[in-house]
Amino acid sequence: MTSFVPLTTVFPGLVWLMAALALLQGLRRAALWRVGAAAPVAWLDGLAKLPKRYLVDVHHVVARDAYASRMHAVVAGGLLAASILTALAILPPLAGFRPYWFVVALAFGVTAIGSLLVGARRYPAKQKRLSAGRFQILPFLLVAYAVGGTITALLLALRIDGLFAPLALALAAAGGLGLAFEVRHGPMRHAAAGALHLVAHPRPGRFEGRPDTALQPLDLDAPRLGSEMPADFTWNRLLSYDACVSCGRCETACPAFAAGQPLNPKKLVQDLVAGLSPAEPAYAGAPYPGGRAAQGERGALARLIGPDARIHPDTLWSCTTCRACVEECPMMIEHVDAVVSLRRHQTLERGALPEKAVGPVTELRQSGDPGGRPLSARTDFAAGIELPVMSERGGAEILLWLGEGAYDLRYGRSLRALIRLLREAQVDFAVLGAEERDTGDLARRLGDEATFQDLARENIATLAQYRFARIVTADPHALHALRNEYPALGGRFTVIHHTAFLLELIRAGKLNPGRLPDLSVTYHDPCYLARYNGETEAPRAVLDAIGVTRSEMTRSGKRAMCCGGGGGAPVSDIPGERRIPDLRMAQAAETGAGIVAVACPSCTAMLEGVTGRQAEIRDIAELLLQAVEAGR
Amino acid sequence: MKIAVLLSAGRHPVSGAAVLPRMEAQAIRLAAGLGEAIGLHAGPDAAAVREALGLGLARIEHVAIPEGGDPVPALIARLAALAPDLVLAGRRGQGGAESGIVPYALADALDLLLIPDVIAVTSGDGAGTLTLDQSLGRGALRRVSLRGPVLATVHPDAPPPLAYAYGRARRGSIDGLGSAPTLTAGPDMAVEERPYRRRPKLVKGAPTGGSAAERLKAATGESGSAAKGRLLVEPDPEEAAREILAYLRQIGVLAASSGASSDASTPTP
Ligand code: SF4
Ligand code: SF4
Repeated sequence: MTSFVPLTTVFPGLVWLMAALALLQGLRRAALWRVGAAAPVAWLDGLAKLPKRYLVDVHHVVARDAYASRMHAVVAGGLLAASILTALAILPPLAGFRPYWFVVALAFGVTAIGSLLVGARRYPAKQKRLSAGRFQILPFLLVAYAVGGTITALLLALRIDGLFAPLALALAAAGGLGLAFEVRHGPMRHAAAGALHLVAHPRPGRFEGRPDTALQPLDLDAPRLGSEMPADFTWNRLLSYDACVSCGRCETACPAFAAGQPLNPKKLVQDLVAGLSPAEPAYAGAPYPGGRAAQGERGALARLIGPDARIHPDTLWSCTTCRACVEECPMMIEHVDAVVSLRRHQTLERGALPEKAVGPVTELRQSGDPGGRPLSARTDFAAGIELPVMSERGGAEILLWLGEGAYDLRYGRSLRALIRLLREAQVDFAVLGAEERDTGDLARRLGDEATFQDLARENIATLAQYRFARIVTADPHALHALRNEYPALGGRFTVIHHTAFLLELIRAGKLNPGRLPDLSVTYHDPCYLARYNGETEAPRAVLDAIGVTRSEMTRSGKRAMCCGGGGGAPVSDIPGERRIPDLRMAQAAETGAGIVAVACPSCTAMLEGVTGRQAEIRDIAELLLQAVEAGR
Repeated sequence: MKIAVLLSAGRHPVSGAAVLPRMEAQAIRLAAGLGEAIGLHAGPDAAAVREALGLGLARIEHVAIPEGGDPVPALIARLAALAPDLVLAGRRGQGGAESGIVPYALADALDLLLIPDVIAVTSGDGAGTLTLDQSLGRGALRRVSLRGPVLATVHPDAPPPLAYAYGRARRGSIDGLGSAPTLTAGPDMAVEERPYRRRPKLVKGAPTGGSAAERLKAATGESGSAAKGRLLVEPDPEEAAREILAYLRQIGVLAASSGASSDASTPTP
C-alpha cells in the first residue's frame, strides 16, 4: 500500500532518475566524440539560436512529411512537457496541488496519443524507409511511459489510493527508464545528439537563410589529409552522425540508391556511427544496393574505406554530390562533406581514385582541362561568330565564363544561343579564351584538393588582370566554384547564372521575346543551381516570360532529382542496375512535356544521352533565343 | 629486387606544362608491382621529376648536371654503383630535353641487355629471373624470360599510370647526389622542330596514274586486294567463323598456324 506522500515524491523522483540515466548514457556516448579533431564552435551563439534552428529550420524539413511532423510534435512535445512538469512536482507546493496533476495527466495523455502515432508507422508493417532493430521497440517504451504516467498522475489528481498506483508507476518506470537507456545506442540518441548538433553545427550559415554549401578548403600542410578513420573527423561531425534518426528520407532522395548503385546515404551515416564504436547495435535498415554485408574492424582508429573495410570504395565514388540527402535530412546532417572528406583521404594520401577517373583528373592537373584538350580550343564552338576576348580588350562589363561544356558539340549550341542573346541585348561582354582553365570542380568533388587549389589560384590570378563587373556563366558547377568556393582562396567575384542574367535582360526590356505557347516544357533543376545556390525561380520566370506551357515534375526545385552528372560520378562510372539520367527522364516523361528545359552542361549531356527519349532537351538560352527570333 | 626507374623532364603534349612523361609514370606502376624502386634523374633541377613521388616512388636520386649537359655519364656512374636488377625507362621522349636515346646509350655503356616496348614485368620462376611481355604492335605480344640485370623501355600499352597522390608526393624524398663528376657536353644533335602535319595516307597498291575514277575504284576496293573478299549470304555460323579466321590470318592479325594465340614464346638465354 502506497500512501500519497511517497508517490508524489517517487513519481517525480522517477523522472529525475530517468534524466540521470539519460545523462549518463549520453555522456558515455559523448566520450567517443572526444576522439574527433578539434573544431571551432560558437557555443553561446549556437545555444541562443537553438530554439529558432529547431522550430524553424528543422521544422521546415520535417513538415515535408505531414504525418511525421504531426507525430513528432505530439509525441516529443508531450514527452518533454509531461516529464518536465512531473520533475517539477518534486517541489512540495506543486506536489500537493491536485489540479497540477490534472495538467500532468493531460500532458502524458498527449504523449500517449503521439506514441500510438509512432507505433502506427511501424505496426503492423513498418514504412519501407524506416529502420527496424531497436526502433521497433520505441513505440512500446513510449506507450508504457505515457500510459503509466497518465494513470499515475490521474490517481494523484483524484487522490485515489490503491494497488493500481504501484502498477501504473512500474509501467511508467519501465517505459521511462527504457527510453533513457536508449540515449546511448538507441532511437533516443537522436534527441540528445540532435539538439547538441544544432548548437555545434559545422555549417552554422545554413541557419542564416543563405545556402552554406561551399566545401571547406583543406589545409594541404596538415599532417594527414582527409578522413581515413572516425578519429579524423572533427568531433562535431562525429556528433552529427550520431544525430541520425534513421528516418531514411535521404535514402528515398538519393539518385545513386534509386539507380541501384552501391550507395545508401542512411547506411553511410550509420556506418560512420558504427565505425566509431564496436558496441553499436547492428544496422537494421535498407542495405547498400547489392547487399554488401558489413565487415571490417570498428573503432576510432579503424580504416573506414576499403574493399575489406566498413565502406566499400564503390560506395564512396557513387555519390554525385547532389545534396538531395542533405536537403531532406531532418537532423541537418552533412552527408556530402563526409563523402568528400573520405574521398580526400583516398585521393590525396593513397592515390586510390577509381580507375576511370584517373585520366581526367591527371589531365586536369597537367593541362587545366579534364579532357586534355588545348585551352585555345575552348572557343572553337563559336567559329563564325564574333567572340570578344579579354586579353584583347582588357575589360568588359560582363565576363562570360564558358566552362568545360564549351568543348562539347551539343552544348556548343546552347552557348552559341547565349552569345547571340547577349549580342541581341547589346551586352558588353568578353571571354577569357585560352586563359580560362577549368574551375577544378571535378578535382575537388573527387577529393583532389591540391589540383583544385592550384587551378583556383591560377584562375584567380588571371581574373585579377581584367576589369569586369560580373561573371556570367551557363555552368552551375563553375558558378558554384567561382561564387562560393573561390572566396576562401582569395577570389571574390560577383557571379550570376545565365538564366538569372537573361531574366534581367528581359525585365530591363533589352530582350523582347515573343511567345511560344505551343511548346510544353518541364524544367529540370540542376543540383548546383537549385540546392547549392538556392536559385530555382529565374529559369522558371524566363520560361514564363516566353509563354510556354510549363509543367512541374513531382520532384522539382530544391527537391529535384539529380541527372547523375555531378561529383565526378560520370567519370567514376560505378555500375548500378539502372542509370540515373534514365530515371530522371522517366520522371520528366510523366509530365507529358515535349521539351525538358535544362540550364547546365552536365544535365544537357546526361539527359541527351538517354536512349529512347521522347522529349527534346533544350537549354533555357536556346528556348529564349527561339522566342526572341519569333518575336521579331 | 632492386629496380631503378629513369625519370626525365618531359612536357605535356598539349599544354606544354612540365610533367613526367606518361610512359615513365607507367614504368613506375610496373616497378611498384615488383618491389622497392627508386627513381633516378640527371638534370639541372629535381623539381621537374618531383611528380614521380606522387605516382608511386618513395625516393628519387638526383644528380645535378648543368643545363644542356649530357646526363648519360652521370647516369652510367650511378647505375654502375647501384647495380639494379631492372632498369625501366620510357621508350621515347615527350617534348622536354630528353631525346629518347638515353636508354640505348646506357645499355651500351653498361653492357646491359635492352628489351624495348615492355608492357608487363613479373618475377620469373627461378631466382633472379624476370618475365617481360613485349609489345610487337597491334596487340601482338612476345613473352621474354631472362636472367640477370636488364634495361627495359616501357610501351604506351602498359597499364595506365597510377593516380597522383599529393600526400605521397609530400612524403617522398629527393636525395641530391651532388654534381656529376665530369661535365660533358651532350651529343651535338642539330634538331629542327616543326609542327606535326598530317600526311595523306598512301593506299597500298593503288595505281599512281590513271584517271581519278580508276584511283577511286582502287581505293574503295572495287578492284585490287579488297575486291577479293567473298560475300556470304546467311552462311551458317561455322562457315562464317572459318571465313573470318581465314581473313584474319591473311591480313596477319592471327598467326598462320591453327590454334595459335597472338603471343609467341621466345625464351632468351
Ligand atoms: S549527395 Fe546525392 S548521390 Fe550523394 S549520397 Fe546524397 S543523395 Fe546520394
Ligand atoms: S541521415 Fe538524416 S535523412 Fe538520413 S536517415 Fe539519418 S536522419 Fe534520416
